[in-house]
Amino acid sequence: MHAAETATDRRRAGPLRSLGWLLGLLTLVALGAMTLSVSVGSSALSLVDVLATLSGQGSELQRTLIFELRLPRTLSAFATGGLLAVAGALMQVLLRNPLADPYVLGLSGGAATGALLAMLAGLGGVLVSGSAFAGAFLATLLVFGLAHGSGSWTPSRLLLTGVVVASGWGAIITLMLAVSPAERLPGMLYWLMGDLSYARTPWPALGLLLGVSLLLLPLGRSLNVLARGPLQAAALGVAVRPLEWSIYLIASLLTALAVTSAGSIGFVGLVVPHMLRLLLGNDQRLILPACALSGGILLVLADTLARTLIAPEQLPVGVITALLGVPTFLYLLHRSR
Amino acid sequence: MSRLDVRDLLIDVPGRSSGRALNFSLLPGQVWGVLGPNGAGKTTLLHTLAGLRAPRGGEVLLDEQPLERLNRRQIAQRLGLVFQERQDGFPATVLETALIGRHPFLPAWQMEGAADLLAAEQALARLDVAHLSARLVSTLSGGERQRVAIATVLTQAPALWLADEPTNHLDLHHQVAVLELLAAQASAGRAVFMCLHDLNLAARWCDQILLLYPDGEACWGPVASMLQPAALERLYGQRLLTSEIDGSPVFIPAR
Amino acid sequence: MDLSFARLRRRVGLAAALLGLAPALLAAPICVIDDAQREVCLQAPAQRIASLSPGATELVFAAGGGERVVAVVAFSDYPPAARALPSVGSHSRLDLERLLSLQPDLAIVWGSGNSAEQIDALEDFGVPVFYLEPENPEGIAQAIERLARLSDSQAVGRQAAEHFRRGMAELAEQYRDAEPVTVFYQVWNKPLMTVNDAHLIGQVIRLCGGRNVFAELPRQIPRIDIEAVLAANPQAILAGGMGEENRYWLTEWRAYPGLQAVQQDNLFFIPPSLVQRPTPRLLEGSRLLCESLETARARR
Repeated sequence: MHAAETATDRRRAGPLRSLGWLLGLLTLVALGAMTLSVSVGSSALSLVDVLATLSGQGSELQRTLIFELRLPRTLSAFATGGLLAVAGALMQVLLRNPLADPYVLGLSGGAATGALLAMLAGLGGVLVSGSAFAGAFLATLLVFGLAHGSGSWTPSRLLLTGVVVASGWGAIITLMLAVSPAERLPGMLYWLMGDLSYARTPWPALGLLLGVSLLLLPLGRSLNVLARGPLQAAALGVAVRPLEWSIYLIASLLTALAVTSAGSIGFVGLVVPHMLRLLLGNDQRLILPACALSGGILLVLADTLARTLIAPEQLPVGVITALLGVPTFLYLLHRSR
Repeated sequence: MSRLDVRDLLIDVPGRSSGRALNFSLLPGQVWGVLGPNGAGKTTLLHTLAGLRAPRGGEVLLDEQPLERLNRRQIAQRLGLVFQERQDGFPATVLETALIGRHPFLPAWQMEGAADLLAAEQALARLDVAHLSARLVSTLSGGERQRVAIATVLTQAPALWLADEPTNHLDLHHQVAVLELLAAQASAGRAVFMCLHDLNLAARWCDQILLLYPDGEACWGPVASMLQPAALERLYGQRLLTSEIDGSPVFIPAR
Repeated sequence: MDLSFARLRRRVGLAAALLGLAPALLAAPICVIDDAQREVCLQAPAQRIASLSPGATELVFAAGGGERVVAVVAFSDYPPAARALPSVGSHSRLDLERLLSLQPDLAIVWGSGNSAEQIDALEDFGVPVFYLEPENPEGIAQAIERLARLSDSQAVGRQAAEHFRRGMAELAEQYRDAEPVTVFYQVWNKPLMTVNDAHLIGQVIRLCGGRNVFAELPRQIPRIDIEAVLAANPQAILAGGMGEENRYWLTEWRAYPGLQAVQQDNLFFIPPSLVQRPTPRLLEGSRLLCESLETARARR
């Protein structure tokens, strides 16, 4: 009871101020996580070496390790995690279902189909990413078109369409795995599990994450109202349909870019928003920026583990997020009854 | 102050012929009561008046402008709706819930300020739920939730109140308190349009009555002319005993 | 349990066959030990061989039994004659119906590649099964000799095995005292994968006087990251590739000019089919690999 009182008092102090504190704190944690991620890897560098290299000294090898390998990968992990968590939070508001995740509407299936097709054709690098993005885009349009179809639109209809389309993608993926030559399989499986070694440059993802976070801030209160149901939201002045389609498209764009740069990494988009809601309440103006930072932090840490647990051998980061995510999520679910 | 004019309105109840076209005006100071059996279309009428549902014919004018030419925000600044059913998919505290009543008035970038907070707190106090501010709405009783919903619209402070069964789930004392509140809103120059099930509450607090029959037939007018036992018995298909207490008619179902 | 039951049934089957084919008893059965350490006996040399991995097909052809192969699996592309043979699906999912309709009297299986259930089923249908899994160069030579016995082509097989053995021995002799060169062998690029010392390629690297920088990793084909390669800083990088003449994996390493192998231009393409399958072509692959390392040695 006492804790609830202080929580209210904090809210009375104005959401703006708690937003400032929260983002400041999370930014510090994010910087810490990134420093850790840049400092460890399969070759040992001391913190002193890392700081020296960051300030422009250090050997050529150290500079290569830090500036060409670890830093871009860390930034990619951060951006990808942020994108997934924000996309998850948006999908949960859109479907009025706290258990939705960015992949629930079959977008990752479309992206995976695109990526695997490219791999099956023996293409590499940029073409795999491009094909994954095209697949994600196609999946979005497909679900959008089918759910929109006759005009009547409800979250459950969208969810059903998405789930059915997703299982269709699943079948296509299984088919492709079944007919692939053995030597292509490891690459495909790693892609499906999510793997940041595919990330090329972090800048598009980081740019999108920052842009969307800023764009969503003014929409935050409308999303709060939308979470109470479309009729209530409309009665309080929200243009429900345009808002719903915009957040669907934004969430799809975020997921598509995340999947394109790192494969389908599970659980970040489900667990992070859910955990933040349990800790911070349900104000999207707090949740969305906090998701961007916390999702990033989680994936940076998970990727650090993936790179170092059995170094120099590597684990796919999707396995780490799932191994961390499943018990955490079950615990939270159990505790919240 | 605002007014709502209903012209040749045919509400769209699926699977029913259109019935009588509605023509009336909701004017400042008035308290309208809509009476009718289950399924007569009371909620549909309310949603149509709020522009949440397209009519089958006719139009609704808010301050002389057709609703469809106004955007939701312009409507919400003048017209508030107490819903009968509410979605609580996501947890929210009582105070947060009341505060969303300020949504139509705040620019996108602006956070709720001290004045908004004060309005919400006063509304919660007026509905006797201020002590529940920090509680999650999902943990409240039905009657408490009903009062939080009304407090949300009170925070919104619309010139036109549309209320769907505002006394649902409320104990006798709180039923009276809520109707007193709505009457006070009307005497302050606002207008109230509500669906009710209780004939006696309607007789006591409303000055205009609209009777909605299950076949789409309807009639409306001042309370004294509308609350005729014969018309009410036909409306509900139920024989009534009538008396008069304290200057108001009283109806009880006959056994 | 299941396996021994299947064996029992096979023996009963064999006994019945023995009674029925009394004249055939005049010839002693042909018995060899396979790579699962089981004794495989045939009453007569195999006439219809099902070769259920691309590597097995190469070995059977090398052993002189190529003309008796009636079924192969997908990607059996060497020798070219194998491409014309009927395929019975991929090695991991055999089309048993098709396979049985070809009436093989011997199946050469790949224990770690074929499905164990399908191998069991084959045995249940009475097809003798020979497990093939050569783990080192000597294993390849012996596999050729044993397959030659089963297909009654000992002369060809002995010659092929001796040629292979001699060639490998010559390489070993030639590079026995060569100065060690540190080597990174790239199996695949995304994800980046290499081999350890126990892998056949790892053995060839050692034979050629190379020192595999990832020799000590526990798994045969471990997945690593670029950082580990940079830290190990090998003197030579050898790579297979997706196609036979696809060298872009190597050019990607030029992005790291700090690497010794890049500075000395020691980036070598080794056609994967010559070293990644345990077949007699490994001799040619080993020569190429040894020459590459010798080039690297000379550039120091």
